[in-house]
Amino acid sequence: MLSIARSELIQILRNRAVLITSLIMPVAASVFFIRFRETFEQIGSLGYIGAVIVFTIAAFSLYATTVTTLAARRQDLFLKRLRSTAAGDASILTGLVLPISVLSAVQVGLILAVFAGLSDGPADVALLVVAVVATFVMMLALGLATAGITNSPEHAQVTSLPLSLGVVAVTSWVGITGTEDLTLLKRLLPGGAATELIVNAWNGGVPLTDSLPLLAPTLAWVVVAVTLALRMFRWEPRR
Amino acid sequence: MTTTPAIDIDRLNVTYGDFHAVKDLSFQVEQGELYALLGTNGAGKTSTLEVVEGHRKATSGTVRVLGKDPADRRAVRPRMGIMLQESGFSPDLTVAESVRLIGKLSGRADSAERVLRVVDLTRKADTRVSQLSGGEKRRLDFATAVYGRPELVFLDEPTTGLDIQSRDALWDAVEQLREDGSTVVLTTHYLEEAQQRADRIGLMHNGTFRHEGTVAELTRTLPAAIQFSLPPGAPAPLLQAAPQADGSYQIETFDLQKDLKLLLDWAHAHSVELVGLSAAPTRLDDVFRAIDAEPVLA
Repeated sequence: MLSIARSELIQILRNRAVLITSLIMPVAASVFFIRFRETFEQIGSLGYIGAVIVFTIAAFSLYATTVTTLAARRQDLFLKRLRSTAAGDASILTGLVLPISVLSAVQVGLILAVFAGLSDGPADVALLVVAVVATFVMMLALGLATAGITNSPEHAQVTSLPLSLGVVAVTSWVGITGTEDLTLLKRLLPGGAATELIVNAWNGGVPLTDSLPLLAPTLAWVVVAVTLALRMFRWEPRR
Repeated sequence: MTTTPAIDIDRLNVTYGDFHAVKDLSFQVEQGELYALLGTNGAGKTSTLEVVEGHRKATSGTVRVLGKDPADRRAVRPRMGIMLQESGFSPDLTVAESVRLIGKLSGRADSAERVLRVVDLTRKADTRVSQLSGGEKRRLDFATAVYGRPELVFLDEPTTGLDIQSRDALWDAVEQLREDGSTVVLTTHYLEEAQQRADRIGLMHNGTFRHEGTVAELTRTLPAAIQFSLPPGAPAPLLQAAPQADGSYQIETFDLQKDLKLLLDWAHAHSVELVGLSAAPTRLDDVFRAIDAEPVLA
């Protein structure tokens, strides 16, 4: 597993296109949100900025890169090659997604730390971590599922767009307008409850007993995403 | 003491929807053997090979590889090397990185330097796979298959795209493996390779074996051929010589030596020069060509 992860890291770092579109872009977007944090605080709240940073990185660094690289590895028959060895499917997949997951986690950790240093930090760090982890697992599993319907790395630019833009849009909608109206809809959309969770964790002022139920739809989406991943992921190109 | 066959297939069936790719196929590959699985396109050999390699599930039937279930990667894969028909390497990794990764995952011990030397890719060790030619990729594939000298090696069209030198070098390496006791399963479109190298051949057509046996057994089923032309004014040839469209004659025979002597005696007696005389045993190509012409066995 670790040898697969190591080779995957080498491949990601050598492929400039993936590096720029998937890793640099979310950093640039985050810098933009932090730079104009006062404006965005007025529009939404500091928690909203935190949620947008988390979801931008989860949607682009993690999700889109996962879709692109897995589609590329399958198209190159690299996945079939790995499956010709003694390595099991679970350890192959873990090895493949480990580097990008760690890179994204480091990204989100560093950027949120900078953001916390420049403004008021998160009220509930533990809750924030739980929300970020749930969001990452959901987006990672959705990445595996989307990779199943993606034929090539170029095709990934099309197939990954609806979900990556979609969850960031949901984050902005929920983060800016709150969940007073259309509560059920907003909380049931993918990323909706997780956004509210991150906003609450950052801003504080909401009792934990009110926040914890938000974990239910968040974890439900994790289950849905993992189920989709198990059904849709493919190891070999369609013939 | 009885030895387990390296591969034991019993009534294997593979279907895709309505398409029956492999039908009730049974055969064994003994340890130390070089077995060639041949067939026309769509004959079912790739499907068969994929089940044996553990890449595909059988629809029905049992398959044992080295006495184990081929899907049990942890048990089987450390003992077998697979050269896929299409290489499957990441273009962004170097040759040495690819060999090290796949070699390590095979669970066998060896060095990347040794196997790269075997396939003469030492100079290319630090080259990215994307920079390799088609033939070099095939050699890289072979290098990963023989990493750690596995007991069982699958070679799926190993010499496609290789020049003569690389092809000879590859077969030398295969011979070396066989001397060490490895079993080899081969598919190829170059029938002369199978004819020269294989101990036994399984010839597939429409999902099942049309013929199975040694090269001699296979070619024995078809007649050998004698061809010649006659100079103008020569007397009419022997009765069994069939005139061909180009004016030459052909004799098909299951007793090449006897009939060739008869022909030469006749030519000598009539002082006839046999122009462009050739006599050849059946080649595997002819067995192949005959497949489609044969009626399907009930």
